[in-house]
Amino acid sequence: MSGIGSIGPHVAKPVAGGCLVVASLVLLPVVATSYQLGTLVVSMVFLLPALGLNLILGYTGMLSLAQMGFFGVGGYTSALLAMHFGTPFWLNFLAACVVPALVAIPLAIPALRLRHTSFVMCTIAFVFILESVSKNWVSVTRGDMGLSSVPRPRLGLWSGGFEVHTVVQYYYLGLLLCMLAVAALVAIVRSPAGRYMIAIREDEILAASVGGRTWHYRLAAFVLSAAFAGAGGSYYVHYITVISPTVFDPSYTNTVLVVVLGGGVGTISGPILGSVVFVALSEALRVAPELRMMIYGLILTVSVFAFPKGLIELLASVAKRAWPLRARRSHAD
Amino acid sequence: MPTEPQTALSLRGVKKSFGPIVAVADVDLDIAAGGICGLIGPNGSGKSTLFDCCTGLVLPTAGRILAGPTDITGWEMARIARQERLFRSFQKAVVFRALSAEENLVLAGQMAAFPGLVSTFSFGPISRRRVRDLRARAGELLERVGLAHMRHAKAGEMSFGQQKLLQFASMLMPEPRIILLDEPFAGINPVLIQRIVDNIRMVNREGGVTFVIVEHNIDVLRELSHRLVVLSRGRILADGDPNDVIRDPRVVEAYLAG
Amino acid sequence: MLQNLLTDGLVIGSVYALVSVGMTVILGVLGQINFAHGEYYMAGAFAAWWGIDRLGLSYVAAIPLALVIVAAISLAIGYAVMQRLVDVSFDAGIIATLGISLLLQNTATLLFGGTYQIFDGGWLEPVRVLGEDVAQQRVLIFVVTLAVFGGLEWLVRKSRFGKQMRAVAQNVECCHILGVDVRRVVLITFVLGTTLAALSGVLTAPIVMNVYGSMGEAITLKSFAVIVMGGMGNISGTLLAGWLLGIMESLVAGYVGLQFRDAVAFALLVLVLMWRPSGFFTTKARY
Repeated sequence: MSGIGSIGPHVAKPVAGGCLVVASLVLLPVVATSYQLGTLVVSMVFLLPALGLNLILGYTGMLSLAQMGFFGVGGYTSALLAMHFGTPFWLNFLAACVVPALVAIPLAIPALRLRHTSFVMCTIAFVFILESVSKNWVSVTRGDMGLSSVPRPRLGLWSGGFEVHTVVQYYYLGLLLCMLAVAALVAIVRSPAGRYMIAIREDEILAASVGGRTWHYRLAAFVLSAAFAGAGGSYYVHYITVISPTVFDPSYTNTVLVVVLGGGVGTISGPILGSVVFVALSEALRVAPELRMMIYGLILTVSVFAFPKGLIELLASVAKRAWPLRARRSHAD
Repeated sequence: MPTEPQTALSLRGVKKSFGPIVAVADVDLDIAAGGICGLIGPNGSGKSTLFDCCTGLVLPTAGRILAGPTDITGWEMARIARQERLFRSFQKAVVFRALSAEENLVLAGQMAAFPGLVSTFSFGPISRRRVRDLRARAGELLERVGLAHMRHAKAGEMSFGQQKLLQFASMLMPEPRIILLDEPFAGINPVLIQRIVDNIRMVNREGGVTFVIVEHNIDVLRELSHRLVVLSRGRILADGDPNDVIRDPRVVEAYLAG
Repeated sequence: MLQNLLTDGLVIGSVYALVSVGMTVILGVLGQINFAHGEYYMAGAFAAWWGIDRLGLSYVAAIPLALVIVAAISLAIGYAVMQRLVDVSFDAGIIATLGISLLLQNTATLLFGGTYQIFDGGWLEPVRVLGEDVAQQRVLIFVVTLAVFGGLEWLVRKSRFGKQMRAVAQNVECCHILGVDVRRVVLITFVLGTTLAALSGVLTAPIVMNVYGSMGEAITLKSFAVIVMGGMGNISGTLLAGWLLGIMESLVAGYVGLQFRDAVAFALLVLVLMWRPSGFFTTKARY
């Protein structure tokens, strides 16, 4: 059973597999080098907004290119709170999820009236508008110079607590955040609301004729995905300790797009695989930025024709051909 | 059984034009609750457009549409479905292809089990129990229409006839009051036709569900429906007992001429 | 100063119009927005620069060279990718052309380095027009744009190919029946549209002077604004919309501030998108 829209009783095997994966991830720092862990940290920075993009694109069927705009909003929010109020990480992180979601609401309401290409153009415009704000609201964002010396994540309840500063610590923090994000995504997608979102993706009119409040779910998907993006922004800004308007650069958007489309749209594991393969791997291989973008471009264009549902689907179909018996059995029940 | 005849669906002076093309000219129609009304007419007579108006897919150019006592003119599709339990099937069997048969039905049933918007986001034990109940009900319905063996199959992989059956079953999930069927028997074999006919009769008898059925298969309609309405060029041409209506010379002429 | 700004606006508006009309004819025939469109503008500028800087050509010779190079590139891309986007969903088209945009941009950066290259060519001496000193290049841009638009109107309305373009734009299925080779029309229109973008790039390069890999990015987005304002697929509308954008940018840059210049297109885009008549999204009953 492929991942798309698969919400069903066949949960036991994936859960067991998931536990295995989680265990190995937790034990990874024992064998991996600092550099390798660093690449995984970067991939997790992109995984968070990718999960959000997956919600709106993979599950609800709306191509929004505004994700990294909200990523930037979340990053700036988290950084500013930490810098001006010295607040603990959990608060900054939460704010970084909530503020972009709030910003997304007034943007979504007019945008949702648009269809197809106009909607996509509008979301692109949002990123530029947000970039403009970050460049020109100099009193808050310091304009083109951006914010530097952003404090490291302080893990504590209110004051005191422990400051994350080594790669291994960032890795574990990221692991925790990603697991929370994945859990949240699973909860949304497996809820009745998630089912409506998938219905909207499949056939919006039919979704409405079975009573689905399509406008509301599209709004919810847009706003929730902004929250995921903001979460990534928070993790990002406290890792890199700087943020500037370059975060609104198309290269960020393109990376997240490749992670989702290349990894696997409409599945939970797709973006996870995508972030590891397309981000961690290219960091690990120290691929030059231009070459990386060219590869991303190639992947995007080829994926449309060759593997529109991403690597996950590709792997699944390869697996089905390699183990035909198992596939036949699962079809019969 | 109601002691006095109630009207499930009323159309008052409904008119729909698309630019210069008048699809529905002027229709006044009262559908009695609990009845099965057939709607026939040559191609282009406005039958599907009438359904579109009733379900909120298009806004009538003029006139009003009432479900029971409630004026539903201009309501959104989802609201009409949720509040008035007025559903409609589509000519091409329309199902959610990527979802399994069971999932299709669960989705259709959600509007009853999760009336509030916020409740659909919950994933706690209460919500899960409701979904389990929906799945159980879905299983029963699939059993009833003879699709139990395709329960976990993807709807997109089913045959056309099976998809139509699935579409029909999904309309039964959320306790319907009025069901509009748009050519339910087109393109499927006689066995499946009989299965749908039996189910329509049973649902109508036991649940008091009102049916309006657009069809070209006049033989089936004649047996099934209590009343037959003929539409021609956007107007009602004849209305009454199926056997009388079919023999009406005006109806014969409309079919031969149009 | 106002007259200067208006003249400037007309010129830059002509640049936008020239690029955008390419996008709009491609949209009309293919039904897809070419997200890589600005990259052909960039390619035109780079190809001309390469001809001047590396081959020692004069600007006059560099122009046709650039057009030929870009036409060749877009022929290859059109053949390999764009043709196949005929029946494909709109987001697949966006993704595919986005991928091409990444490829083109970064190929240019890899080939020619990440720094700005200086474009050395063009006719920058001023000439007196309506009491004002305007660089000859600017006049050239304006005149060429008018000529191109005139030519396009003729092409679409009167020529046989134009009839085919209109047929494909209206109803692809009918075309198959009538024997119109849809893919060929798409390919030729694509090459035409992208070459116009390249022409714009070549003509504008002497004025902007900096040539770099990502110079086409903003152009693509501004082209959206222009074609949305002008009416997608509407040729003469695109010209007026281009001028409108150019003039507004110029006025904003002059009276409000230079840093807000690029935001004008996005603001206009959002405003126009909001005010398009939406009506019911279900005006066409689908079943």
